[in-house]
Amino acid sequence: MSPPPVPESSRLANLLQGRATDRALALWYALVVVFLFAPILCALVYAFNLGIVGKQTSTFTGWTLQWFPAAWHDTSLRRAVGTSLVVSFWSALISVLVGTALGYALIRHPSPPVRRLLSAITYFLLIVPESVIGVSSLLFYAVTAIRLSSATLVAGITPVAIAVVALIVRARVLTLDRRVEEAAADLGSTRAKTLRFIVLPQMLPAILASAVMAYTFSFDNLVISTFLTTPRLNTLPVYLYGSLQYGPAPTVYAAASVVFLFTLAMLGVAFLLFRLTSRRPRGSAAL
Amino acid sequence: MAQANGNPARSADGGRTARPRRSVAVADHLIAAVPALWLAVFFLLPLAFTFVFSFGHSLFGGVELGFTLDNYRLALSGFYGATFLRTLRFAVTASALCLAVAFPAALFIARLSGRRKNVALLLILIPYFSSFLIRIMALTMLMARGGVVEWLLNGVGLHAGPLDLLDTQTAVFIGMVYAYLPIAIIPLVVVLDRIPRALVEASRDLGASRWRTFRHVTLPLTRPGIATAALLTAVPMLGELVIPRLLGGGRGLLMGQAISSQYLQSQNYPLGSAMAVLVLVAVGVLVAALARMTKGFVEVPR
Repeated sequence: MSPPPVPESSRLANLLQGRATDRALALWYALVVVFLFAPILCALVYAFNLGIVGKQTSTFTGWTLQWFPAAWHDTSLRRAVGTSLVVSFWSALISVLVGTALGYALIRHPSPPVRRLLSAITYFLLIVPESVIGVSSLLFYAVTAIRLSSATLVAGITPVAIAVVALIVRARVLTLDRRVEEAAADLGSTRAKTLRFIVLPQMLPAILASAVMAYTFSFDNLVISTFLTTPRLNTLPVYLYGSLQYGPAPTVYAAASVVFLFTLAMLGVAFLLFRLTSRRPRGSAAL
Repeated sequence: MAQANGNPARSADGGRTARPRRSVAVADHLIAAVPALWLAVFFLLPLAFTFVFSFGHSLFGGVELGFTLDNYRLALSGFYGATFLRTLRFAVTASALCLAVAFPAALFIARLSGRRKNVALLLILIPYFSSFLIRIMALTMLMARGGVVEWLLNGVGLHAGPLDLLDTQTAVFIGMVYAYLPIAIIPLVVVLDRIPRALVEASRDLGASRWRTFRHVTLPLTRPGIATAALLTAVPMLGELVIPRLLGGGRGLLMGQAISSQYLQSQNYPLGSAMAVLVLVAVGVLVAALARMTKGFVEVPR
C-alpha cells in the first residue's frame, strides 16, 4: 500500500485533472447563483408586466408602470404595510433587548448550569418548525382567551427573532477578550457598570446589525403570522399570501418588488453599520 | 491562570463554591432571567399546551382535557398517516438533494481567499435573506404554463408544448431545494474552511490522488457541517406550509398544511396538536441521528 513514486506524466495528468475540477466547481457555483437569483429577478421584471385585462399573467405581455400607483392606492395593502411596519418595530426592539441578554449570557453567565439551560432553550428554538410555533401560539391564546391583537402578534414573532439576535451577539461575545471584563472588576467596577461601559460598547456593532436583521426577519415573517393575524389585522406578507390564493394580482408583484428592495436596503444598512462600528472599538482599544 | 489574584467571581467552575459579589449576582441573574422568562412564556408554554392538548378528547366545538391516544392513532392512520409519511420522505430527500447541490458550491467558496470568499458567500446569502414569500411567488410565475421555464425548455428543445410543472410534487421539490439551498451551503463552507490546508497537502504529498484525498480526508472532516446543513434544511421542510400550498396546489398535502387546517378550519385542536407533536418527534429523531453521525467530533477552536 506504499504510494508508488509519482511519474512526471501522471503528475501532469493530476494537474490537468485538478484544473478541470476547479473549473467544474466554479461552473457549479455560478449555476447555483443563477438558480438563486433568477426567480428574484423574474419577480422584479413581472412587476412591470402589463398582463391581460388587469390580471397578472405568466407570459410577459408588455411593460407598464401602472401597478405601482395601483398598489399605492390599494387601501388594504396600505393598512397591511402599516401594521407590518409597527409590528416589526416592536418585535425588533424586544428581540434586541432580550436576544442581546441571551447571546451574552450564553457565553458569559457565571453558572454553567444556567448557560446549559439557556443554550438548550436556544437550540430547541432553532429546531422547532415555525408552523409548530405558530399553531402552539394560536392554541395558547385560544385557551387563555386572550384576544389576538398586534401585541400577541409581536409576542408570537419574537422567539425566533430573539434566536437570530442571540446567535449574532453570541458570535461577537466569543471574540471579546474576557480579561478586559476581569480587569474592570479588579479595578472595582460593579458588574452592572462593567456591562454598561465595557461590554456593551464592544457588542454594539453586533447589536445594531442584529437589530436590522430582527426587523427584516419580523417584517418578512409569514408562517407564524399566518396563525396570529385576523381578518382585521393583516401584515403585508400575510396579505400578499392571502391574495395569491385568488390568482396573482399584478399589484402584488409591484408591492412585493418594493418590499424586496426595502429588505435589500435594510440588509445593506446592517452590513454598513457592522463594518463602520466594528472598526471604531479597535481604534479606541489602542488608547 | 488569573486565579492567583483571588477574584472569586471567576473561579473556574462558577458560582457554587465561590460566592460572587452581590452586584455580580443581580446583573447576571437579570440577563439570564429576562430571556429565560420571555421564552418560557411565549415559546415553551405554548408548546406545553400543544403537548397537553394532543392527549385531550375532541368534542364538537370544544376540547376536554384528559389522557387518550386516540388523536395519535388518528394522526398515524389513513389519510393523516400517509401525509405524515409523505412529509418525512419529502423532507429527507429534499434535504439530501439540497446538500448534494450545496456541497460543490461550498467547496468552491471554501477554496477562495479573502475578499473573494466574502463576496461569494454574500451572493449566496442575499437571496436567503430576501423575502421568502416573494421568492416562492416568483417560482410559481416561472414554472406556470406559458412561463419562463416553459419558454426556455422549448427553446433548447428539451420539451415541446406547454409545461405542466406547477401544482406537481416536482414543483414542491424544486421549491424546497430553492428555498433552503443557502442555509445548506453556509455550514458546509464553515467546516470546509476549518480543515487545515496542511492536512490536504500532506495527503497529496504522500501520493493520494485528488479524489482519494477528498474521499478519505476532506469528506470525513466535513461530517459536522453536513449534519448541521441537514438539520437546518430538513427541520423547516418538516413543517413547511407555504411552498406546498403555492407550488403544489392541491396535490401532495404535507404535514404543515394538515396541521394548520386542523387549527384554522376543522377546529380540531387535539388532532392538530397530536400532529404537531409528531412533527417534533420526527425532528427529535433527526437530531439524534445527526448527533450520532458527528459523534467523536468536539468543537475544536480554530
